[in-house]
Amino acid sequence: MSGARILVVDDEPQILRFLRPALEASGYEMQHAGTGREALRMAANSAPDLIILDLGLPDMDGKDVLTQARQFTSAPIIILSARDREVEKIAALDLGADDYVEKPFAIGELLARLRAALRHARGAATQKTRVEVDGLVIDMDRRLVTREGVLIKLTPREYDLMCALALNAGRVMTHRQILTAVWGPAHKDDTQYLRVFVGQLRAKIERDPSAPTIIRTESGIGYRFQESA
Amino acid sequence: MSTERNTERRPDPDALLALADKEKRGRLLVFIGAAPGVGKTFAMLQRARAVKQEGVDVVIGYVETHGRAETEALTRDLEILPRRVVNYQGAHIEEFDLDAALRRQPKLIIVDELAHTNAPESRHPKRWQDVQELLGARIDVWTALNIQHLESLADVVSRVTGVVVRETVPDIVLRDADDIVLVDITAEDLIQRLKDGKVYLPETARLAQQKFFTLRNLTALRELALRRTAARVDDQMVEHLRQGAIEGPWETAERLLVCVGPDAQSMDVVRAASRLATGLNAGWVAVTVDAPEHEEAGARTKRIDDAMNLAESLGAETARLMGRDLPAEILAYAQRENITQIVVGRSRAGYFRRLVGRSLSDALLRRAELVGVYVVTGEQPQNERPRTIGLGERLGAIFGPRLSVGLLAAIASVAAAVAIGELLTLVISLPNVSMIFLTAVLFCAAWFGLRSATAAAILSFFAYDFFFIPPLYMFTIAEPQEFFALGIFLIVAFLVGWLAGRARDQERLARENAQTTRSLFELSRKLSGAVALDDILLAATVYAQKTLAARCVVMLLPEESDLVLASGWPPLDALSPGETSAARWAFEKGEEAGWKTGTLPNIRFQFRPLRTTRGTVGVCGFEPADPAATISPTMDHALNLILDQTAIAVDRALLVKDSLRAAALEDNEKLRTTLLASLSHDLRTPLASITGAVTTLQRFGDSLTEEKRRDLLKSIEEEAGRLARFVANLLDMSRIEAGALRPKNEYVEIAEVARSAVERARKAFPGQTFITSLARDLPFARGDAGLIEQVLFNLLDNAQKYGGEGQVAVHARRAGAEVLISVTDEGPGIRPADLTRIFEKFYQGGRPDGRKTGVGLGLSIAKGLVEAMGGRIWAESPAVRRRGARLVVALRAAEAPAPAKVAS
Repeated sequence: MSGARILVVDDEPQILRFLRPALEASGYEMQHAGTGREALRMAANSAPDLIILDLGLPDMDGKDVLTQARQFTSAPIIILSARDREVEKIAALDLGADDYVEKPFAIGELLARLRAALRHARGAATQKTRVEVDGLVIDMDRRLVTREGVLIKLTPREYDLMCALALNAGRVMTHRQILTAVWGPAHKDDTQYLRVFVGQLRAKIERDPSAPTIIRTESGIGYRFQESA
Repeated sequence: MSTERNTERRPDPDALLALADKEKRGRLLVFIGAAPGVGKTFAMLQRARAVKQEGVDVVIGYVETHGRAETEALTRDLEILPRRVVNYQGAHIEEFDLDAALRRQPKLIIVDELAHTNAPESRHPKRWQDVQELLGARIDVWTALNIQHLESLADVVSRVTGVVVRETVPDIVLRDADDIVLVDITAEDLIQRLKDGKVYLPETARLAQQKFFTLRNLTALRELALRRTAARVDDQMVEHLRQGAIEGPWETAERLLVCVGPDAQSMDVVRAASRLATGLNAGWVAVTVDAPEHEEAGARTKRIDDAMNLAESLGAETARLMGRDLPAEILAYAQRENITQIVVGRSRAGYFRRLVGRSLSDALLRRAELVGVYVVTGEQPQNERPRTIGLGERLGAIFGPRLSVGLLAAIASVAAAVAIGELLTLVISLPNVSMIFLTAVLFCAAWFGLRSATAAAILSFFAYDFFFIPPLYMFTIAEPQEFFALGIFLIVAFLVGWLAGRARDQERLARENAQTTRSLFELSRKLSGAVALDDILLAATVYAQKTLAARCVVMLLPEESDLVLASGWPPLDALSPGETSAARWAFEKGEEAGWKTGTLPNIRFQFRPLRTTRGTVGVCGFEPADPAATISPTMDHALNLILDQTAIAVDRALLVKDSLRAAALEDNEKLRTTLLASLSHDLRTPLASITGAVTTLQRFGDSLTEEKRRDLLKSIEEEAGRLARFVANLLDMSRIEAGALRPKNEYVEIAEVARSAVERARKAFPGQTFITSLARDLPFARGDAGLIEQVLFNLLDNAQKYGGEGQVAVHARRAGAEVLISVTDEGPGIRPADLTRIFEKFYQGGRPDGRKTGVGLGLSIAKGLVEAMGGRIWAESPAVRRRGARLVVALRAAEAPAPAKVAS
């Protein structure tokens, strides 16, 4: 989606120095905010299509910025965070962030997440009914799953789990989000439960269950379904 | 003939508890004999050899063989602990070494002669106390005892044999022994052995002289030993049956009460009660009644204390009651405590009391219901027999020194009343002079108490009759109505005196109580107000010294596994080693030690533990003003209250200290978290920039303008430099901290180094203006050129971070024997409080916009480096026009640089 407006919220000038040329070269329009307050004002005024938010801001906690922004905008938000801040990342995702990128990152990785988030935001209106990835075909109208034309038998729970992940293909889903979607809010902390089901599902749909390519693990955070190419 | 017991003595439900308690202690086996020479030591050693062969770890703590070959042969295979040699008044005394035994920690130790009295200055005065400590350390003990040394039998033995027994062992020691072995030979055999010279004992000569070893004596002693052992075997049997849940008529349910008074007979009464209790297999309690108005006569209190202590050592419970009506108090207590028999000595009641039938034993006999009263009669001790003495002494003996004053006052006041009466009758004719005498009685009652008033009443009676009732100056009465008036006068005088005296006594008591309460309240207020430990200890020490009227009071607290003198009043530098070890004992065991206690009684201080629910927090020691005096129960009570209060206050202070320490730790933890976060931020930001720029160049290199590509490359270079500086700083810091820094000591040309540092700064921070102003005649400085440049660069880095928009100036000049180099910025400056703190590691001054600027290492590294080169560094603010900060480095100037070196 060329021409999309991206709001970058980061206080480090060095980061902007490479983000600006990279985003502009990819055909996006970049806006910049150095503080949380400025970010909120700009998000309200100029309605960006996507927000890249560094959680470490000088004036306020990045999570507070996220919570307040979510009250008036549904634009996808991608978080920039450090690898050792796992708890912070999960909290941010549960608060409504769409994805995260760990610092330091390669620009290609950020752009891929950015595209997936933008596509998902646009596609939210039109519900997908057919997913095709890596030889696996999910026909949601007929509730049929095939791999290279061979029918795969899934239990209803496994099917629901797979659909929840596939509908968010390319985006990370936290354990809580998956558990809430599939098992209901009462089970949102039964992570062990989820691990077992994901293991069973991988055994049925992955080419090599020991090196999964369709359902990837985001360690400590959740799972990410491979986007169709 | 030996008997052993293997069951517990107490049948109560407490048995389990007692058993558990006992398992924590070593087992005590006592070899009992009727007299010296029966072969206790021999029997003991024989058995020791046997268990040794079974592999038991047995050592000999102390055995006296008296050079006898047979006995000596038995000790040969056994390990013998070396004895402790005590030098006492020029003599060498060999003693059992308790500490060595505790260190050796054997399974079983043999310590002969349980009744032995230790040399002065030993930890315990008696050997049986040493044995208790061994048992407490879970060491089994075998020991030997002659029956005559048993406390409760001491008086019986001296009566039977005519030999006074001085060394005694409390009955509880024997009662709590796990086993008893009776070593017995007939009296004839023993005498034969003596004649054959087979028995050698140090005591023998003395005892022989006292005609101790007679057939009659030995038979009597043998009977005592046999009976005592038999009683125990009987107990054991009963115990056994009870444990087997066999029902039987053995429930004695007898409970004895023995009345302890101030008379000399008390000790004998207590012993009699003990024997009776043992015979009945009954529990017993020793009771004394303190009358509130009793004058504190030293000898009385001491006798009561001694008798109570004796009772306790014989296994009695003790109780101190308060009350005026002795028999009523005792009977009430007896009813409350289900006492079945009361033991009382036949009191030699005073002349007057016997007249009205008010001796305690009589009163008890008359008023007791459903309780047996057992009256012990005793002979009057020699020294208590009345002798011919002078009047003053006699009054003192009968009434005590203070009472004789009261009596003299009675005489004086009655004489004064007579004089006034006579004078008045000369002037006017008085219808009734008796009022003047009543005044005298009242005076005595109010100032000198009940007895003085009684004396005054009687004296008044006679004086009134003699001087004022016709016929005058005769003890006869002419008119019958006068006789009647005189009788009424006597009754009134008695009543008035009694009431006033009582009121006075009560008032005095109330005043004393109020005094105690008030001063205790004051202490507790002082203690609760004090937070610092030192204040608490000082307040408590001063107060205790005042209350006890002690010569000195000290407080000791534990510190790093030792007790330290924390406070003393009057101030004291140190305690003697003996005092310290007594204090340590009191602390470790939680018991009293020192003066008038069972442990180290020869030292001047008595130490008591400061106990709280959390354990012993310290020790309080006091040195009495008079070492011969005793502590009265009131004093003891007051002291206990002080100690309780102090203990709680000390505990509270320690808790506060602990929580402060915990808070400090928490702060430390917080600091480390912040530090880690900022470290990771400082490392990650340049890395993120570099990675981002590199990947952008890779991906969009072709589509970017030339200018943008150059900027990206430049940012990579800058960020790499930033990262390098940061890593270098970390390494420097760790080198300084590890002490691995070895600065060179060379001649450094400051101008050159300063220029180089500024050049580096200009490259690193292109947006910043740096100017230099260096004096022309700059001398060389001593130091390490590389390190000095690093220091200056760190100062410049700091200046550009915090110095705002203005320029940064570097000056260098000579000042005395030093070269001063300063870096000045035009920023907002440094708060006075922060002038030294900025050199602390990880201290960060925030920037006005709140952004983090670094980990706060630069200046602390600069300080570390400068100091390693023997220089100084400090900050000044404001520097220029009430703004800015100046950081100054002072290095030693080199006086005579060698030209050759400079040239190179």
